[in-house]
Amino acid sequence: MTSRRVPLLPLLSAVLLPAAVAMVFFYAPTERTMGVVQKIFYFHLSLAAVAFLSFFVACVAGVLYLVRGKRRWDAWGAAGVEVGVVFTTLVLITGSLWGRPIWNTWWTWDPRLTTSLILWFIYTACLILRSAVESETRRATYAAVMAVAGFVDVPIVFLSARLFRSIHPTVIRSDSVGLEPSMIATLVVCMAAMLVFWAGLVRLRYGLHLQEAELGDLTRRLGG
Amino acid sequence: MSFTLDEGEFLCLFGPNGAGKSTLLKILATLLRPTSGTVRIRGFDLEDDPEAFRARLGLVSHQSFLYDDLTARENLEFYAGLYGVADPAGRAEELLRQVDLYDRRDSPVGAFSRGMQQRLTIARALVNDPDLLLLDEPYTGLDEHAASVLRDRLRALHDRRRTIVMVTHNLRRGIESATRLGILARGRLVFLAGRDEVDADGFEDTYFRCMEAP
Amino acid sequence: MSRVWFLYRKDLRIEFRKKESVASMTFFGALVLVILNVAQGPGRRLTPETAAGVLWVAVIFSAVLGLGRVFARERENGCISALLVSPASPGTVFTAKALVNLTLMLLSQAVLVPVFFVLFGTGLAGGPLALVPSLLLVDAGFSAAGTLLSAVSAGTRRNEVLLPILLFPLILPLVALAVKATGGALAGRPLTELLPLLEPLAAFGLIYAAAGYLLFPFVVREG
Repeated sequence: MTSRRVPLLPLLSAVLLPAAVAMVFFYAPTERTMGVVQKIFYFHLSLAAVAFLSFFVACVAGVLYLVRGKRRWDAWGAAGVEVGVVFTTLVLITGSLWGRPIWNTWWTWDPRLTTSLILWFIYTACLILRSAVESETRRATYAAVMAVAGFVDVPIVFLSARLFRSIHPTVIRSDSVGLEPSMIATLVVCMAAMLVFWAGLVRLRYGLHLQEAELGDLTRRLGG
Repeated sequence: MSFTLDEGEFLCLFGPNGAGKSTLLKILATLLRPTSGTVRIRGFDLEDDPEAFRARLGLVSHQSFLYDDLTARENLEFYAGLYGVADPAGRAEELLRQVDLYDRRDSPVGAFSRGMQQRLTIARALVNDPDLLLLDEPYTGLDEHAASVLRDRLRALHDRRRTIVMVTHNLRRGIESATRLGILARGRLVFLAGRDEVDADGFEDTYFRCMEAP
Repeated sequence: MSRVWFLYRKDLRIEFRKKESVASMTFFGALVLVILNVAQGPGRRLTPETAAGVLWVAVIFSAVLGLGRVFARERENGCISALLVSPASPGTVFTAKALVNLTLMLLSQAVLVPVFFVLFGTGLAGGPLALVPSLLLVDAGFSAAGTLLSAVSAGTRRNEVLLPILLFPLILPLVALAVKATGGALAGRPLTELLPLLEPLAAFGLIYAAAGYLLFPFVVREG
């Protein structure tokens, strides 16, 4: 049952990721006031975007699982939550690394930080929930419910976070982009690289979850 | 799997663990949705109006479905209310007398013996006077005396109007009261016959042959 | 509607007979308040917003104790299956359970809020009545989300540990808003000024009432 297809996404990210790193360090200009630390922003923003995308995928997969009850939707949901948690962790770490020299603190209760942290807690709880349920269909249902219940919290999280004072820079506003053209180009390449890498990872974890479930079926058939 | 059942029949299904007995019963009880196929009751698809169907259904399992902290009477009154019975208190009293628990009506159920709980469980399943009664391993955990009481009760319930489906792996108890016998193995109905078409000893052989067949 | 009432009355009857949830919720909440009072040290006064934080820590920790019990009761003896094969829809069961949880929270807070004012009340401009709007709104949201997640955690092997792990991240924004709103109320600010904080609280309640009503059937049909 192994497919002999060319691993397109991993190959593509093997090209794009180094290219993005090269652009960040050799093409994009060093920011005047923040210096070299600012370069982490390209990764930070790309990671944040795909992390949020993962949770969106998990929510959609959750709804589809509840409606259709097919195993593959659970596998997509599980992959989305896992990758989302890893990427959110990286968002928090890269943010802290930047915040320490710029804000002079590792952590502050800023809306965006708070939002990311709450999302991290919600979806890590999802992972804990998965590990606490034995039966496959029950685990899938509970995880789907939790992924949906977590995602509908996002508007409230944003709303509540907005009421706190913000010191987080808003780089991309609706009217203008506060970046030089070469910085924008770097950011676009970085985002694209991260997106391809992310898609490859999610795809990989999805396949793994499906295989695990099929292995479980086979073991049961042998045992029964 | 496909079978039809006439009104007033008492079907007993046997099978080893994992044969799909409980799954079948759960589908009949609308607890599970069938992955394919349909269930029709009096010509109506189960999926069309499950709530109307549930109102006419009774279910007894090896779990009591009773609240230990409520008294026997409160349990029955609660379920009668849930089913929209016109006079929950009156219905509860009537049922308590039927199962000989009227004297203990105000004791909390948690203090009851297994046999008493089982009697109350049957009373609970009858609050809505169901047309279809489903029994899932009702003999589990009962001693000989309680089991024979249950058998008599089931015979009394089987009054040609009520349809009963029971699943069990207790061959003797099942054959005693059913009008139709079926065997489930590996998710399939491998045997189905009227009670008068088989003799008890022969049926046991059939059962074991069905288990061994690949 | 009458089915909600039968379910609700049944749960409250068990509750008042055994007093397992309200009593332990109130006792534990009071304990948390005393611990925080001791941790604060003698003779120090809290700002209204810190005091509000103290109150909410006690409230959510005590509430999560009771929530787990209310649903776990249905798993004992398989009662939830009996409810599912009855003509009552799972949504009805959800509504009744959420109302039970709301009642239990309000009852325990009827004791906890006075205890809070005895321990921390000196120097606060706002009285207990000023807290009522935000308490009601948070309790509604908390019981809606909590009912859904207590059904989830009741189906797992680690019921008691898992419920706060699942529930607290979801209600974090709720608590953040509630601390701001009650902080304002304790500082004596009028209700109209606090409306921007109360509106998202109400929105949270509505979102989780809807999400719970829709998702609860899937959870309880499992197992």
